Amino acid sequence: MDKWKKLTASLLGPAAAIALGLLAGSIAIVIAGGSILETYAEMWKGAFGSLYFLTSTLNRATPVILVGLGAAVAFRSGFFNLGAQGQMALGGLAAALTALYVPGPGWIVAIVSMLVGIAAGGLWSAFAGYMDARFRMNLLITTLLLNYIATLFASYMVAYPFKDKTGSAAMAQSQMIDNAIWLPKLFKGMPAHVGLLLALVAMVALYVYLTRTVSGYEARMMGGNPLFAVYGGVRRTPLMLGVMFASGGLAGLAGAGEVLGSQYRYIDNSFVAADFAWTGIMAALLANAHPIGTAIAAFFLVALQTGGMGVEMNTDVPLEIGDVIQAVLILFITVKFVRGFRRRRKEGDPNGAAV
Amino acid sequence: MLLKMEGISKNYGDVRANRQIDYDLKPGEVHAIVGENGAGKTTLMRILYGMEQPSSGTIRIGGREVRFADPKDAIAHGIGMVHQHFMLFQNFTVAENIVIGKEPGKLRFDRKAAIAQVEALSEKYGIRVDPRARIVDCPLGVQQRVEILKVLYQGAEIIILDEPTGVLTPLEVGELLEAIRTLTKQGKSFILISHKLNEVMSAADRITVLRDGEVTGVLEASRTSIEELSRLMVGRPLAAMDKQPALPKDKVLEVKELSVLGSGSKPAVDSVSLHVRAGEIVGIAGISGNGQSELLQAISGLIKPAGGTVALLGADVTGKSAREFRNAGLAHIPEDRYVWGASKSATVAETGTMGHQRKLGKLGFLQGRIVKARVSEWIKQYAIKAGSPDNETQNLSGGNLQKLIVAREIAQQTPFLIAAEPTRGVDIGAMETIHEQLLRKRDAGGAILLVSSELSEILKLSDRILVMYEGKIVGELQEGDATEEKLSLLMVGGKRNG
Repeated sequence: MDKWKKLTASLLGPAAAIALGLLAGSIAIVIAGGSILETYAEMWKGAFGSLYFLTSTLNRATPVILVGLGAAVAFRSGFFNLGAQGQMALGGLAAALTALYVPGPGWIVAIVSMLVGIAAGGLWSAFAGYMDARFRMNLLITTLLLNYIATLFASYMVAYPFKDKTGSAAMAQSQMIDNAIWLPKLFKGMPAHVGLLLALVAMVALYVYLTRTVSGYEARMMGGNPLFAVYGGVRRTPLMLGVMFASGGLAGLAGAGEVLGSQYRYIDNSFVAADFAWTGIMAALLANAHPIGTAIAAFFLVALQTGGMGVEMNTDVPLEIGDVIQAVLILFITVKFVRGFRRRRKEGDPNGAAV
Repeated sequence: MLLKMEGISKNYGDVRANRQIDYDLKPGEVHAIVGENGAGKTTLMRILYGMEQPSSGTIRIGGREVRFADPKDAIAHGIGMVHQHFMLFQNFTVAENIVIGKEPGKLRFDRKAAIAQVEALSEKYGIRVDPRARIVDCPLGVQQRVEILKVLYQGAEIIILDEPTGVLTPLEVGELLEAIRTLTKQGKSFILISHKLNEVMSAADRITVLRDGEVTGVLEASRTSIEELSRLMVGRPLAAMDKQPALPKDKVLEVKELSVLGSGSKPAVDSVSLHVRAGEIVGIAGISGNGQSELLQAISGLIKPAGGTVALLGADVTGKSAREFRNAGLAHIPEDRYVWGASKSATVAETGTMGHQRKLGKLGFLQGRIVKARVSEWIKQYAIKAGSPDNETQNLSGGNLQKLIVAREIAQQTPFLIAAEPTRGVDIGAMETIHEQLLRKRDAGGAILLVSSELSEILKLSDRILVMYEGKIVGELQEGDATEEKLSLLMVGGKRNG
């Protein structure tokens, strides 16, 4: 009973923000000279209108949910991880290279590739945690800046040493992986692949971890009041390294899933262009880092994006209408975020939790 | 009659904070209000000071009925309030803080006139302050005098003192009582809110006792006793505490030449050696800020010492983490319940689980049902007003949270317990329970290190008393030998027998 109450409470704020977002979107539609009802109808169709559109929304939501869960576990424990973009790039690259160069039966290589992807993203994130523990470098800054190193490194790898020279195109991308390794689709001929199931499993696992386990309890207490947790015998450094590894690992899995189930190669800049990482982080913030809420918010934000594409195809209103609604949402998240942070600052707690 | 409050009631939803309270005050009188936490003292004063509106009842000043919309109205009618936590601008001078709101000078702030006015005020009422000193450089006792001068400057005839002695040293308490006497001779009246009955007895002329929002007695101070007051406050006679002589056994905690760096050039803890044996309570007395906090943090694994050793049950734990201290046999009632003792956003059950989580785990899963059952048991045993264990910790009052923390740490059943300010902010009934539990732990062979700024608590519980001054242990007294006077002298750096 109580858990449902908590979940509804954590969804109430987002629901209000969404309503205001749609209202702001309506104003923008009127300014752009479109009809509000028609535009929103097209948006709905673009996101959920047919099995194809629905599965394509789900396909796009898969990495966003995973990244969101990764951000959520870090935020709930009071640590920042804004490095999903880089962790996802490394995870995708590592998975692609593993799939290309490790021999063996397809499904085993696929599993190994995903594990390698998780390890790559997780270690990159845990590295930021290490710098916090060893040199007191702020996670907010390090995770953010490590994004550049990781994405540029991945770009270099597929632009030079591992560039696909078989095709005629001069794009920076790796070779295509063998189709025995591809992750199976959920419906024949439709975009969504089994990565979505993995994301849902991760969602449930994270929920159980946070609410039921000893370690999850310690992580949440660390997020609520780090001094209290340390006083009670929680060791900050191992907990932080573990949480950061899990957080980055989920982002790495997002990258691996995208490579193995959707793009079948690592294409330079494709993750950045689709904005998977930041949408996922936004979903976690929107849902107060509740695992199930984060998955729902991720799905909703992605639906706005795919719906926006539908709007552009079928009306005179441009694709950016989705961005307008999203921007209003971010505005509301920021208000909550800053207020929470300032409240903690007042209480004299410099290690204030993220959410 | 200067002030007359009649039939004051105040309801917050279903909670009746004040019920038909009558209270009056004569010129030149000190009329104290005592009561446990939640008895309605604060609500009544907030009504008188215009911060709350009563649900019913009237307030008369000099026979005329008045209504205060906000504190400004109350001040205009000659009511001044000195809050428990001082409201002074730390970087401004004494004079600037006193004249604020009614500054001399037209366009320009006339500093010289302000200083002259404060000096005249100080002279008139015999309350000594240096108008040019900055507040940050003033001890708390002086800051309180500044607060009193501020309300006098605003023209107060009735001065409300809310828990005025909480932060003062014994010497400063004496000075405050002296100042109250001087001012009452000049016709000022005081409303003294306190839970320290011995101070109330020495300062007040009359005492009103509140319990559960109702008046349970109005007494002449000269014709009552502390026992009678506490009976009226609690609603039952307090059991006389039955303290057996200690039977100390082996050393549980042994600290040798422990030093902790301070913020300045002086060390916060300076080469302290002490030990606590099984079956004894060792008290550390001292004015807060003389290294007690740092000492406790260093012997509970929260900060690393600069030198020296700490051993628990013979195992060297110097510089180890709090987890290792706890594994070696430590439980810890922390001195600041909000900084160390709880997470406000966590549930009561979660706050009550801290330190137990590994013992209550099974294959890495927390056994939620056992956790809740244990916390529910504490809620009953300590009469914690918590609602359900699923309530948020931040909804607990300070006293109830303190009880929860004490229950949690005693339930660790460790050989060694640090009890830092174990009864800060709790009411008399709860204090009785907590003291009883500490003694029971001692009698069962526990070693307890008690740190408290309440000398009465130290004297009541300790078998041995150490005094800390400027980071050093400056004296040790046995139970029978220690008196409040001897301790006070050592606490301010005086020599023993000197």
